[in-house]
Amino acid sequence: MSRKRSSDRSDRFDYLQTLVTEFQDTDNDEAKEQVLANLANFSYDPKNMEDLRQLQVTDLFLDMLTEDNENFVEFGMGGLCNLSMDRECRDLILESGGIPLVTACLSSRREEIVLSAITTLMNLTTAASRPQVTEVAVVQCMLRFSLSESPRLRNLAGVFLQDCCTEPQVARAEQTMPDGPQTVLGIPLPVDSVP
Amino acid sequence: MAAPVQKADCWRTPEIYKHHEQRKVCISRPKYRDGRKAKAVKVYTINLESRYLMVQGVPAIGVMSELIQRCALYGAIEEYRPLDEYPAEEFTEVYLVKFQKLTSARAAKRHLDEKSFYGGVLHVCYVPEYETVEDTRLKLQDRRRYVIRTCQNIAREREQMREATEEDPKPPDSAPKSEGATKSTDEKHPASVYAPAPSSTGHYLGFPSLPLPPQEDRWYRQNTNQARPSEDRMGSLHDTFTDTAPCDTAPCDTQSTSAGVQRKDRDTRGTPNLASVVRFVPRTTHLENRKRKLEEPRDPLLLLSYDIVGENSPLIGPQLPEPPKLDMEDESLNTTVHQIRDTLKQVASVPANKPAKVKKTKLRRRI
Repeated sequence: MSRKRSSDRSDRFDYLQTLVTEFQDTDNDEAKEQVLANLANFSYDPKNMEDLRQLQVTDLFLDMLTEDNENFVEFGMGGLCNLSMDRECRDLILESGGIPLVTACLSSRREEIVLSAITTLMNLTTAASRPQVTEVAVVQCMLRFSLSESPRLRNLAGVFLQDCCTEPQVARAEQTMPDGPQTVLGIPLPVDSVP
Repeated sequence: MAAPVQKADCWRTPEIYKHHEQRKVCISRPKYRDGRKAKAVKVYTINLESRYLMVQGVPAIGVMSELIQRCALYGAIEEYRPLDEYPAEEFTEVYLVKFQKLTSARAAKRHLDEKSFYGGVLHVCYVPEYETVEDTRLKLQDRRRYVIRTCQNIAREREQMREATEEDPKPPDSAPKSEGATKSTDEKHPASVYAPAPSSTGHYLGFPSLPLPPQEDRWYRQNTNQARPSEDRMGSLHDTFTDTAPCDTAPCDTQSTSAGVQRKDRDTRGTPNLASVVRFVPRTTHLENRKRKLEEPRDPLLLLSYDIVGENSPLIGPQLPEPPKLDMEDESLNTTVHQIRDTLKQVASVPANKPAKVKKTKLRRRI
């Protein structure tokens, strides 16, 4: 049993490596998207996390957050959302300066990207990173999200405000919140539903 | 959300979200990452999953209780109701089913989506928008805990494997020694050195002479070996049963040293791997490996069933009703097929010297 698993494991590492190589080598955006989605979905399984860490897929995903192609951003953000559940991956993302990159995704128009970003931010919250994760602009953004029409966004922002922020923090953010939507983060509110 | 302003209450008309849609299947994947099931390009995260499922396409012929019974095969249901307000196709109904556990919802989705049901084809999707804040919080907490626990288990298991390897004298290595230097990952990783992979023979290995890229066959093998719970063509595990069992039964006496050794293990493994990120292992190595594995062919179907039972049953909860069978899309036809199959089995089992035929029947069962 254990032998079987270990050979499976090196097979899997090789496969993941092939994916990373294809991603780096290809110029075809469609292929890139597919491989990226593959990698992001592999990130869902804890069994793969060590291999993905070794292949520096965390950095690969982080690179995607600043792409113009929204699919790249969505898949990269989804991958980070999956990987950041693991503590070691979380630390890698923090080391690579991931917080501002993820925070920037809160302003995306795609709801799926925003949702992944919120979950990732929650995963990235540690004693050391908390001040950065819960800076005033982010809290204000979450406050706006918590009034959103979309139940998923509303719920997730609610969890963020309740679990990651202190009450005084939220109160302060509310006080300093400028009227109207002219804040730095989170404009415009994401659209997802099909009329 | 272009919809008019609505208050959040349970009486409003359910909205149609993008994630309810069935995405277009992707057809442009190269073979090595083309799975067995047609899938769209989509990334699954915990945000998309939910213990709330929406079942569309239920024929409007009063089969609600049948549907719920069918769903309950995959786990306890907490609540269900028809979504009368949700726009449905003609002569069909839409139901909301709330499972007690996310894993049950996942299993139900996997087994019921795109399956025929009383003459209709079901479309099952997660509907996280029905969650409460508390639901969402618990879902995320569970997921985090599961990931952390699994990673710890993996580390512990690896540690045990390492110890087992040290105790055992090194068995005869069938791989040629001359490749020692290039075969970095395999050689350095103690347990895989003597992994003739009893299970590594997939039926995709039938074309050894094709000039495949180095890793191609491995993927198929892996995909076949791990049987159903493995990644699908998108690498998605969203519908895999979460499995934490493998280590729970194992003794944990090695826990105290596990962290240190794991690091060591990683170091030895990590260095060569990082170096080879750009460079492939020479194909001869793979050919050798493949040849070795071809020498002990095994019925992939046996492996399949073995894996299902061995690795993934403990966490599923209620036993799955049946392995995926030939579906004739009609109840009476299915009954007939079942009867024929039973008769065939009886006939085949009478003369004991006809193993080939027995296998044939098995093969058909699993199509």
